[in-house]
Amino acid sequence: MPSQAKPPGRSAGKSILLTLPVLLWSLIIFSRSMLVKGAAPKIAALLTLVFMVTLFFLMVRTRETYRWRRIFFVTLGVLFPIGFIAQLLAMRGSMSISMEKMIAGDTPFCFMVIPMVLIPAALTRTVIFPGSILPSASNPHAIAAMIALWLGATIVLGKGWCSYGCFFGGIEEGFAAVARKARIKKIDERWRWVPWGVLVAIVLLSLATFEPTYCSWLCPFKTVTEFAEVRSLETAVQTGIFLSLFFGLVVVLPWLTKKRAQCAFFCPFGAFQSLFNKINVFEIRIDRKKCTDCISCRRSCPTMALTEASVTEGKTLITCMKCGACVDVCHKDAALWHIKGTEFGKAPERARLLYLYAAWLFATMFGGTIIAGGIQTLIQFAA
Amino acid sequence: MPFATEAVVLGLSTGPACVAFCGPVLAPLLAAEGRTLRGASARLAAFLGGRLVGYLMFAAAAWALGAAIPLHPGPRALLSGAMHLLIAGMLAFAALPRRKPAPCAHGCAGCPHEAGERFRTAGPALLGLATGINLCPPFVAAALRASESGSLAGALLFFTLFFAGTSVWFVPAAGLGLLGKLGPAVTIARIAMAVMAAWYAYLGLFGILGGLIHA
Repeated sequence: MPSQAKPPGRSAGKSILLTLPVLLWSLIIFSRSMLVKGAAPKIAALLTLVFMVTLFFLMVRTRETYRWRRIFFVTLGVLFPIGFIAQLLAMRGSMSISMEKMIAGDTPFCFMVIPMVLIPAALTRTVIFPGSILPSASNPHAIAAMIALWLGATIVLGKGWCSYGCFFGGIEEGFAAVARKARIKKIDERWRWVPWGVLVAIVLLSLATFEPTYCSWLCPFKTVTEFAEVRSLETAVQTGIFLSLFFGLVVVLPWLTKKRAQCAFFCPFGAFQSLFNKINVFEIRIDRKKCTDCISCRRSCPTMALTEASVTEGKTLITCMKCGACVDVCHKDAALWHIKGTEFGKAPERARLLYLYAAWLFATMFGGTIIAGGIQTLIQFAA
Repeated sequence: MPFATEAVVLGLSTGPACVAFCGPVLAPLLAAEGRTLRGASARLAAFLGGRLVGYLMFAAAAWALGAAIPLHPGPRALLSGAMHLLIAGMLAFAALPRRKPAPCAHGCAGCPHEAGERFRTAGPALLGLATGINLCPPFVAAALRASESGSLAGALLFFTLFFAGTSVWFVPAAGLGLLGKLGPAVTIARIAMAVMAAWYAYLGLFGILGGLIHA
């Protein structure tokens, strides 16, 4: 069967016009940093603005999503720990937090905690996390702000949060991109149920113990953010678990499999976030009339959200994080962006663009601010 | 308040906490092993039966020894540690994937001699017993009050009524058996049990270590 060519890229003029809303949004987001005293915040904001707008322009111009998004996402994954750790060192002089400071509510609230706090909060009106509800001088990353941000993004993006918002995902996507070829190619599909099992376990254990079990015991990203001071055998065991999970799931396995191994085979938040794909209007579907079952889409999926059965049904699994890898790799244009409730296959590029606007506006506000913070830290460090 | 009424009210009021404490063990077990509402109800009944036996054993010990002795930090940590290790072992076993059993040498269908089948019958009861002796806060409150009763029969009655009060909150859990009809739910429940097993093994080891240090 002759290969059907992908539609050509957009003209530069049309691409610039389509990029203008993102430029305007970026100016609004970064203008505040332009007014701050000192050169570092201004340079960081300007660089980030150019970075974000250029990437969006390239997404529009080339009609490709994945590779440009990956550049943003890996940059976010690299710069988040840099900015965050610098902030911790400036505030406390250490990445570790003492029990006294934890009890005082100085722990920044991370979105990973959300599935664990919901049921205890509903039953007892208690947030089982030692943070502050509203932002304070010592802790600007408060619970209410993070939940509001997550909820808004989740309604609009569904599991797209994991492709555009999760600063941790960028780290493993970076390690997955390092290797030229996957060394482990055959992965049992049953592994993809592990995040759901971990989710069930941590939700039940958090309800039983009234502490966010995942944060205390299983979060690999404590390694690059904040962790409890090692003062006892228990905290030593916890630190050992964090380190092992980080190097195993975030460094080694992504490098060996070229998959986002932690997201696909462990992350309970990702499993929880998948549930919101049910209510999200954007999705990727497979046109069975065009599909030749070449399995390039399945190979390209970083989280194994496409299986033989799902492709046969013309769907992705609920765990699809809408990164666009399968759409970009499909030479038959069988994998298409789609808005639920509209005719399938009629205007997939329009669906992609609408999704990208939503995703990129959020990415600029959330990830862009983090990237600017990281660049500012690097400039200040260099100076 | 009369002694009997107090026991029931204490059970009813602390029941949600009991469900939360037993939830990590019970919920995945019912989802993985229940298969049907009837099967899950039978397993829930076995779990609650085991829990009642655990309560009564502890009530007898609390009355005979006085609450202060079994609740002393050393023995308490040792007892909790041992129970946690027992729970961990059983959860780990329950988490193992089941192979289709080979034809039974005894020639019986749904063979009770097969290890997996034996666990499906006895496992919930043993887990109920182990969680029943687990010293969660509501249990400790009941133990303290039961130890003040004038006789062994009084202590046993107090714990039985306390158990009845708490058990009301467990009834809806039988619905989890319906999840067992979904293929992935069983796999997910088994994975959750494996995570729980690691958690309880840790609690058990550290509990015993703590108990030995106190002793």
